[in-house]
Amino acid sequence: MNELLLIVFSPLIAGFLAWLLRVKGVKEAVGIIGSLIPLILLIKAYPSLSQNNLTFTLNVAGFEVGFMLSRLSWVFSMIAAVVGFTAILGMASTAKDSYEWLFALMSLTGVLGVFTANDLITFFVFWEVMTFASFMMVFKFNRGASLKYFVLSIIGAYAMLVAIGIIYAKTGSITFADISTAFSKDAMSKMLGGSGIFTKTETMLIYGLFLLAFGVKAGMFPLHVWAPDAYSETNQSYTAMFSGVLSKAGVYGFILLYVLMYGKLIVEFGHFRSAPAFGYIIAFLGGLTIIVGGILAALQEDIRKLFAYSSISQIGYILVGIGVGTALSIEAAIYHAISHALFKGLFFLIVATIIYRTGKTEFKDFGGLAEKMPFTFAMAFIAILSLAGIPPLVGFASKWLIFEAVIHENLPILGGMVFFGSAIGFVYLIRFTYAVWFGQRPSDIENTKDAPLPLAIAMGILGTLNVIFGVAPGLVAQELNKLFGQQIIGGNIWELDLGFGRYNGLLLTIWMTIGLLIAAIVYFLGASVRKVPVTDTYQSGNPVTMEYNLTIRRNFFLPLKEAMAFWLRISFDKLYHDIWKSMEDFAETARNYIYNGNVQAYAWYLAIILIILAAMGV
Amino acid sequence: MFGTFLKALLIILYATFVGFMFMGIIRKVTARIHRRIGPPIYQPIIDTIKFLSKKENITHGIIYDFGIIFALGATILALMFIPLGSISIMRAYGDLILITFLLEIPMLGIMFAAMSSGNPYAGIGAQRALLTLLAIQVPLGFAIVALAEFYGTFSTYEIVMAQQTSGWSIFHLPLLLAAIAYDIVLQAMFGKEPFDIMIAPGEISLGPMVEFGGKHMGILQIQHAMGLFAETLFFSNIFLGGAVITTFSSPILNTLATLAVLLVKQLAVLLIAIFVSTIFPRFTIDQAAKFYWKWPTIIAALGAILASL
Repeated sequence: MNELLLIVFSPLIAGFLAWLLRVKGVKEAVGIIGSLIPLILLIKAYPSLSQNNLTFTLNVAGFEVGFMLSRLSWVFSMIAAVVGFTAILGMASTAKDSYEWLFALMSLTGVLGVFTANDLITFFVFWEVMTFASFMMVFKFNRGASLKYFVLSIIGAYAMLVAIGIIYAKTGSITFADISTAFSKDAMSKMLGGSGIFTKTETMLIYGLFLLAFGVKAGMFPLHVWAPDAYSETNQSYTAMFSGVLSKAGVYGFILLYVLMYGKLIVEFGHFRSAPAFGYIIAFLGGLTIIVGGILAALQEDIRKLFAYSSISQIGYILVGIGVGTALSIEAAIYHAISHALFKGLFFLIVATIIYRTGKTEFKDFGGLAEKMPFTFAMAFIAILSLAGIPPLVGFASKWLIFEAVIHENLPILGGMVFFGSAIGFVYLIRFTYAVWFGQRPSDIENTKDAPLPLAIAMGILGTLNVIFGVAPGLVAQELNKLFGQQIIGGNIWELDLGFGRYNGLLLTIWMTIGLLIAAIVYFLGASVRKVPVTDTYQSGNPVTMEYNLTIRRNFFLPLKEAMAFWLRISFDKLYHDIWKSMEDFAETARNYIYNGNVQAYAWYLAIILIILAAMGV
Repeated sequence: MFGTFLKALLIILYATFVGFMFMGIIRKVTARIHRRIGPPIYQPIIDTIKFLSKKENITHGIIYDFGIIFALGATILALMFIPLGSISIMRAYGDLILITFLLEIPMLGIMFAAMSSGNPYAGIGAQRALLTLLAIQVPLGFAIVALAEFYGTFSTYEIVMAQQTSGWSIFHLPLLLAAIAYDIVLQAMFGKEPFDIMIAPGEISLGPMVEFGGKHMGILQIQHAMGLFAETLFFSNIFLGGAVITTFSSPILNTLATLAVLLVKQLAVLLIAIFVSTIFPRFTIDQAAKFYWKWPTIIAALGAILASL
């Protein structure tokens, strides 16, 4: 049997088996093995990538369903396999029944299929599998949130189907290679003054439809409204994969846009400064995504919602990188896609642990958990440093690449946007840290235990990868260089060298250790410390007891809310809700007037149609 | 190898000493503006020694201690990357973005420590500190973008070298705008009025610092001294031409002259901050956010756009 087929379908098969077996212990084992197989096979397939791409074609119902494992799809599939595996491990603790196993594993198959697809039909089919499975995961927890997600996803998916239809009608082919050649030929003939097979309007239409399709999946502003609800109203272990991997399908889609129609889009749209104009649109929307997602994340009162918006915000970085459109910025974007999957996967596993152990989700119910869950806190510490972009971790390396790639292209407005994003990341993470881990502990979570073993292993894997890729950022960069077949990011495994900027992870770690050592020496030279309880604190000189709430748990960023009050009134969520409402009203009106129950009215309809037919001369 | 560590140690000691002198100068100049005599210039050193030699210290847990150590360690790390004339440990890696990030990390450590104490004043201080950070990041970002686009490199050392031939950054219009914005940002980075909202003595009892005493406070004093040194040094390097003196034949004399020139520039930056801080009362946090998102942002964005043309 072909390995590629096994990579794609083993999670699905395992999901079905887990669903059929329903035996506690067995279904978990089957599920974990099913998600481990793609990981092992992908690692095994790695050496053969340098010779030629793995391909496989399946004949189903008259269509040739083609799979191909190129370097690009290998990188993305690895993200899916690693984060998918850890999420499934986490689910061993948090999943309630076999229903969740079926659909979680099915969505892993969907996303692996999207990444390894070799033609548009395969791409679309697995896109739909992925959407359906993730919808079913949300559906079990919250109907409203899942329907919102489903409707928007379906609009996106059918926009893509229309675009595929136009492309197929014009080129007569669905494989990526053929389409890419057709578009570049078209661009050539257009440049030489001839008329290509696609007119300017058609190209713009296809671009717009793809933008809609991939934008919805990635959570791009203003199509992000489904994400906060869908990410929060589901099993949080699953969200590690939902946000870490499934959103990357949208990102992969945008890269596919470059692969398929780069030349054509450049010819039709031209350039905006040094970036391609069509890319600048993506990048600018990405910049807005960073800002909107970040600010809304800071104002959330629910731990799951905070990370949902944070996910949106981080995707914005990837879109900026992709939009700028140089080889370097696309590499940076893929790097950030990897690091986002690593730290956001870790974050959602942490959230899953917290919710699993305490059963609470809102900030007002937490406090002082760091002492009760030291391992989870250590992992959260790594994840916080990584997301906030603190140097020796992977989040910094990838953000740094995006900063340099964007600013070097002389795009000042985008530069300002990504800078704002890095600060707002800092801001909402500290809010999470403060409310959950520090301060006074409410008495009802006094007996919280640390993470269960499967979740702890999963967090350990992702935490370690965050550190390793951070200290040795070149490991990823060298791999990404191979995508383009040339040395775009120089340096060795410890160092990133762009020519106009250098970053050395190892050296930085060493000096950070030295700095910490010096600080520790100063600290330990002083007199010994005495531990005091949290109530032994300064409260304007007044005594306090545990009855007083000393930790600010509600509305932490009230001044920010007030400063942005004008902007916060503009809500796309409300806009879509109103549009949906008016469509429902219209449907209601149409039903009342057309199906009015009056027999004479139906006779009139017949008469009108007969008149029309007569007028047409039938 | 050993030489590098010795050099690093010398830089740290020099930075600490000069930083403490800066803190003394701040107090002295402020006093003179108020027609007081003020404390002697070495007063912060005495204060710190006193803090460090307290017989009893309290702690609220491991993070409370680690946060402090992290803050000082990160400041030392930042110092290693900023070129100090020709003597610097890792000037090849002294990347603009990296240093900008590194200068923010100590804040993270301080806040971790403060928040783990569970004090509500520390909480409100952390909130104000974060919103200040968010507010200054926009003009700061545009200023950095303007620099990088003007010089086409992110290396601080190369920017210093470029200024040796083409004149100081502030003599070019786009970078002058960036420098003005950055200087307004510096006021908040130093924690001086009108943007000392995060500490706000008299208003929220020192905010994040409220629970620290003894050696924790002593270490924070050292961190503050080094931070002052690092921030003024970074500004002098990127906007005021840094210093690379090669007029003397002896390398030691050259080094001393470089340090002296840099010191003058750092003092100039510091004095502006002091003059502003002594005559302006404190902003509220939402005023500060609105202010930073208006004038400095417009100025810096204009600079960035002009630099990119």
